Amino acid sequence: MDPSGIFPTSYRTDRRVVRTRWQMAALALFVGLMLAAPYLVSGRIVAILNMMMISAVIAVGLQICTGYAGQINLGQAAFMGVGAYTAAILASKTGLTFLLTIPLAGFSAALFGFLFGLTAARIKGFYLALTTIAAQFIFHFAVLNLPSNWMGGSNGITVPPAELFGLRFVGETAQFYMNFAVTAIMIAGAFGIVRSRFGRAFVAVRDDDVAAGIMGINVAATKANAFLIGAFYAGVGGALWAYMIRFVGVDQFTLFHSIFFVAMIIVGGMGSIVGALVGVFIIRMIQEIIATVGPNIADSVSFLGGDIVFAGMNVILGGVIALFMILEPKGLMHRWNIMKSSYRIWPFPY
Amino acid sequence: MVYFINDIITGALIGLLYALVAMGFVVIYRASKVFNFAQGELVIIGGFIVWFTTMQVGLSLWLSIPLSLVLAGLVGYAIERIFLTKLIGESVFSMVMVTVGLLILLRGLVLLLFGPAVRPFPIIFPLKPLFLGDMLIPMNLLIGGIITVVAAVGLSWFFNRTRSGLRMTAVAEDHVVASSMGISVKGSIAFAWILGSILSTIGAMIFLSGKSLTFLASDIGFAALPVALFAGLESIGGLILAGVIIGVAQSLTTNYLDPMIGGSLGSVVPYIIMLAILLVRPTGLFGWRTIERV
Repeated sequence: MDPSGIFPTSYRTDRRVVRTRWQMAALALFVGLMLAAPYLVSGRIVAILNMMMISAVIAVGLQICTGYAGQINLGQAAFMGVGAYTAAILASKTGLTFLLTIPLAGFSAALFGFLFGLTAARIKGFYLALTTIAAQFIFHFAVLNLPSNWMGGSNGITVPPAELFGLRFVGETAQFYMNFAVTAIMIAGAFGIVRSRFGRAFVAVRDDDVAAGIMGINVAATKANAFLIGAFYAGVGGALWAYMIRFVGVDQFTLFHSIFFVAMIIVGGMGSIVGALVGVFIIRMIQEIIATVGPNIADSVSFLGGDIVFAGMNVILGGVIALFMILEPKGLMHRWNIMKSSYRIWPFPY
Repeated sequence: MVYFINDIITGALIGLLYALVAMGFVVIYRASKVFNFAQGELVIIGGFIVWFTTMQVGLSLWLSIPLSLVLAGLVGYAIERIFLTKLIGESVFSMVMVTVGLLILLRGLVLLLFGPAVRPFPIIFPLKPLFLGDMLIPMNLLIGGIITVVAAVGLSWFFNRTRSGLRMTAVAEDHVVASSMGISVKGSIAFAWILGSILSTIGAMIFLSGKSLTFLASDIGFAALPVALFAGLESIGGLILAGVIIGVAQSLTTNYLDPMIGGSLGSVVPYIIMLAILLVRPTGLFGWRTIERV
């Protein structure tokens, strides 16, 4: 809802993403702070920010697929893995520049996602969630069992650093700017997609696919598109991941990682791009806290050893998902919007 | 030829074990319309309860098995009370997501409580295989197969013929309609989870008898998933046929195709069958067809 006195007078203004001067100022401040971040905070925090931006790309893709189009997707990590492997193979075998490998990684993941999106034409609800789990298993199987000079098998692939005009993107700061540029493009694209014709079709299919079909929307194509776009984002995120970690292995893309991404959009709020970003921030913060605190606890209860981080993470994220579904199924963005609108119309109740 | 028949029989028996675990999915679905992703974790919790009562407390098997089943039922009831009662009438998405949350929550809890160590599991069924001529059939799978068939026939009679079973079927059809007809949705879901949890514990006993127990054993939940979908989520009797087909297909692939291609295609064959059946017939072999209205 816009604040009082702000109303669009033409379709052009109505379609705007940034609607008020204050929003513009906030966005400029945010982008400015992000650009300055490597000089303001320590290297460790820059590394965390890198991780958050990559997760943000993937979570925004999942948000489009699950939050906007309503297609449950528990295979986002597999799609990310397809992208990461594509980028890794292209970069290490053919030496293509990252300007090409990142989009190609996106397209190959999109193709893989599209195949599973086609099943969505006939299947819906949790059946669909099951086929996306199958995507997860098939990806795992393919990597481990195809000849190991194709995809590295269980050894994984080492990725050469990204390079542009002789400038090598190694170290947190250089990677930060590369990730920031790609993330900014992808998120701007997401805002564009969700307010376009496709985005409105997604929402219509999510709310009621039978009714959407009667209104003339090609439901099967829309669902397949949603998977295609979601997987494209995952693939781009996976390529960034490959360039950041400089190594891809099949253990980085498991069902558990897919569930972490789902947790991000549930916490942030379904059907909101900003919500996905909020969710990424919160879940990654929780992860960092557990990773920092975990080893200290592990010292006192020694029989668990290093597994406490993984175990604690699962307990907390599982609890967070269940709690949010029970108490706040629409996520934090919904709460924030309620607060904002009640502040705007204060002192009136509505 | 003897080996071929032996592979088929072993495959069919493994398929029946999958069917027993899948029965946990179907029972919960059949009485509450919730698809439980955390089924594998229920199996592992059942396994740890059995391990705890026999190896840790030191009870004899005759005492510990009934006690374990009661405890497993209590765990199922507790999960239902804490997480699912509050979601009655909410969307399918919420329910599915809560069980996905449960999947990682329970996995984490098991790791926190018991740690990653490998533990010996009590020998519940005789280790000595049954010899039929040149064929050799694992005893635990054979007894397990018989239990599966008995359980499937019994439960299928219960859900299709008895009054209380039909009530639960109504709940699976529609929560709101069922409760407006005076059927207790809460009671039905609680019963489903208790039963699902007990079936998982029996599955754990058959699967793990005489083997070792780690938290990774929960993967059987995902191995059983294709069986449940192949049969159709509403059919308990159909699980036997689906389990046998998938088990035999998997066994033949592992024994004959895998040596040829040098990979482990056997582990994904159930998923390929599942994807194929979902594309051709989304409701599985014996599932209900529903008509949707706007």
